Amino acid sequence: MLKVKPVRKQSFIMYFRGNWALYLLSVPGLIYIVGYKILPLIGLQLAFKNFDLFAGNGILDSIFKSKWVGLDHFEKIFRSSNFSHLLGNTLTISLMKLAVNFPLPILLALMLNEVQSRVFTRVTQTLVYMPHFLSWVIIHGIFMTLLSANGFVNRALGAAGLAEIGFYTNPSVFRWLLVLTESWKESGWGAIVYLAALTSIDEELYDAAYVDGAGYFKRLIHVTLPGIVPIVSLMLLLRLGGILGAGHEQILVMYNPTVYSTADVLSTYIYRIGIGKLDFSTATALGLFESMVGFILMVSANRISRKFLGRSLW
Amino acid sequence: MRSGIRDSMGVRVGKGVNYALLTVVALICLLPFVHMIAKSFSGAVAVSAGKVTFWPQDPTLNTYRYVLQDGLFFSSFRNSVIITGCGTLIALAITTMAAYPLSKQHFRGRKVILLLYVFTMLFYGGMVAIYVFMRTLNLLNTLVCQIIPLVLSQYNLFVMKTFFEGLPEAIEESAHIDGAGHIRTLVSIVLPLALPSLATIGLFYAVGYWNSYYHAMLFVTRPDAKPLQMYLYELITKTQNLFEVDPVIAAGLSSSGMQAAAIVVSTMPILLVYPFLQRYFVKGLTIGSVKG
Repeated sequence: MLKVKPVRKQSFIMYFRGNWALYLLSVPGLIYIVGYKILPLIGLQLAFKNFDLFAGNGILDSIFKSKWVGLDHFEKIFRSSNFSHLLGNTLTISLMKLAVNFPLPILLALMLNEVQSRVFTRVTQTLVYMPHFLSWVIIHGIFMTLLSANGFVNRALGAAGLAEIGFYTNPSVFRWLLVLTESWKESGWGAIVYLAALTSIDEELYDAAYVDGAGYFKRLIHVTLPGIVPIVSLMLLLRLGGILGAGHEQILVMYNPTVYSTADVLSTYIYRIGIGKLDFSTATALGLFESMVGFILMVSANRISRKFLGRSLW
Repeated sequence: MRSGIRDSMGVRVGKGVNYALLTVVALICLLPFVHMIAKSFSGAVAVSAGKVTFWPQDPTLNTYRYVLQDGLFFSSFRNSVIITGCGTLIALAITTMAAYPLSKQHFRGRKVILLLYVFTMLFYGGMVAIYVFMRTLNLLNTLVCQIIPLVLSQYNLFVMKTFFEGLPEAIEESAHIDGAGHIRTLVSIVLPLALPSLATIGLFYAVGYWNSYYHAMLFVTRPDAKPLQMYLYELITKTQNLFEVDPVIAAGLSSSGMQAAAIVVSTMPILLVYPFLQRYFVKGLTIGSVKG
């Protein structure tokens, strides 16, 4: 039995008196969000200033005392050939990952869904989810021993009389290494969402289709696939919204100067000039560009999803 | 399980192929790790000659002895344990506290607070901003600066909130009628019901902390403040230098055998815990994230 609460306009003071505890509970999270996520945004002014570390007393003071230069940094960035190169790398790696790593979890979920043995499902799931829990550093370590010049694979190739493959040194091969190590890490984990959608498809639909004489593939096309179309579309939109994220944590760990030409993306470049060369202004300007575009894409993706799919992330 | 449905011969063959393919996929996930383990237990000569595949050759524990005696390995392992332990507890507490009020439709100010969380989830202030933050507060080269960045994941917050929203209202109402305030209701009635969700989110936070190195790369340069992942990263990328350092060779070790041992030791904590929590997190993952 649900009790319907009477609708009455309570003054906020009255409401607060009865529910102060809810506000108390909210305080730590809010302090964190405002203190760590919102306040540091004042540092974004660096994008419009020439940062001078010695302009003031301490780094924060220096930020405030540095000279305003308007949009100079952005002009410089957008004019440089380096920028289009970085953006090109970012989008290329992102789209390659989209093409390979978006369908893989769906395929895996469809395959797992066909398995009738519970033990087999459990064991397979445990194994394919596992790589998700390893850090990129560890995955890098594992694949280095397998794929480096004197690693397992190249030795095997050599023994078979085939040419070595420079997984870590050949710029065009390295991109595929990025794509496929991500497949290895995330495909199993990504399948969870689709598996959940698949298991929630009404059994009666399958039985009805069977009675109507639909064979296996007809059931697949008319029952199974329509059942996961909404979640697939949502995931695709979200992925498109995050297209500027080529996976910088992964690249930062795995790349090396010999493959900068194809693997250096916006965020890894920002890391190198920001933390490496302490060029805070350019790093902030480039980061702000990345954040703004990413933000707009994500919000649009969510809006489109809400309008056409009736689902959204927030 | 579609027991009532009989399949044709072709489909049955297809299902056999499906089992075979899935077995291959599972092996692809497993074998690289088995290779590491085999390497870590193998003698230096066998490792250097590339003889090790999936079973240790000339079994030895030297690699582990060397890694565990390394002072830097020990200090970085200790740092990661502290960061993961404290971080996970604080993160769980803050996330639960923040999620509970937001799950109440009547909570005034709910929309504004939600907007704050969503906005900060989508808009990244950039690494310079947080670097300046840590430097201003004198937190560079500490463990605290490695805990703060991951202390609240909006994603986990929303998963928790969705879980709270799914609880039957009657349970909490009866507690209120008995005179329990919000906090007592949360602690003694809601949290016990939320244990599976807490375990899931706790696992996510713990794995996040244990595996994080990005913030250490931004904020930490002093060796004794480095986390395990950074130690590993340096061990892996500085292979060439390690070859030149005498003690390693003198101890009869190969650097890749040592790397393998370090990787195995640092992955064990996760691999030991995760299978037990698996049944929780599949549920935890799917109830949250997507709002229907």
